[in-house]
Amino acid sequence: MTAQDPELPSARKLLTTTLVALVVALVLLVAFVLPAEYGIDPLHTGATLGLKALSAPVPKAEPPPAGATMYKPVIEGPVSQYAAAYKTDVVELKLGPYEYLEYKYRLEKDANMVFSWAASGDVSHDFHGEPDVKGMGEQSYDKKPRREGFGAFRAPFAGIHGWFWENPGGETITIRLHSSGFYESATEFRSDRTRRAHELKSVKD
Amino acid sequence: MMTRRQQLLAFLPLGVLPLVGHEDFRVVGVVTKVTAKTVDVKKKDGKVVAIEWNKQTIFTRDKTVVPSSALKVGLTVVVDATGDSEDELLAENIRIVPAVK
Repeated sequence: MTAQDPELPSARKLLTTTLVALVVALVLLVAFVLPAEYGIDPLHTGATLGLKALSAPVPKAEPPPAGATMYKPVIEGPVSQYAAAYKTDVVELKLGPYEYLEYKYRLEKDANMVFSWAASGDVSHDFHGEPDVKGMGEQSYDKKPRREGFGAFRAPFAGIHGWFWENPGGETITIRLHSSGFYESATEFRSDRTRRAHELKSVKD
Repeated sequence: MMTRRQQLLAFLPLGVLPLVGHEDFRVVGVVTKVTAKTVDVKKKDGKVVAIEWNKQTIFTRDKTVVPSSALKVGLTVVVDATGDSEDELLAENIRIVPAVK
């Protein structure tokens, strides 16, 4: 042993240091770890510091209300709940001289849709619906002269709902339609009795 | 001489007439032949459609009811008709319109 060897701590000093470390660890455990990890908060430090939220159980996701489908809503106050995402549709339609066409969506009763359309010229127009139930007549919702329309619609009955547009003159007219809604299908009916189904996109696509 | 139906319709603006639905046919084109019971109309795709007409068929021009004798070869017409196909149509309305450019 030389004169420059470092002085080792005494046993008493070691014991004291170890006890202090144990007390600090115990305080940290009780004050912070138990509230955050297990929700045990004997000193109320977890509540004070907002640590209990970390140990709170994750809320369980509620399923759609019984009876709701992707097309048929369950109405809960101001909200209509569906079982799946809505669809969207963007379409450009050409109307030749004196031609007419109808463009309609299939909607269940109380199903919702928003729409926006604009024509490049004057058109006759009738926003109306045809019920699934035979014997119930068509219902017209809006026949005012328009070159554009913007609105929100709730189907008063299950059926096909949409627009009749007629070109009253000799120039070709273009109609652009944008819509979103809980509809099943979209069909274009032409004045030569042809029908064409249009593909709709889900917002989840 | 106009029938009573034609007289009544002469005072109605065309906007009051029921809008056609997707169960009717509409043929737009130029008259190529007229007989006592039929009118041949050539469409823009070149196809000629023979359409029957009768005493119930309404003829109009400029929103006014006119007699069937107003229908002449060379005129542009808009025909609203019923039938199972374009090969067997009966005209409900025949509207004489300005020629399409």
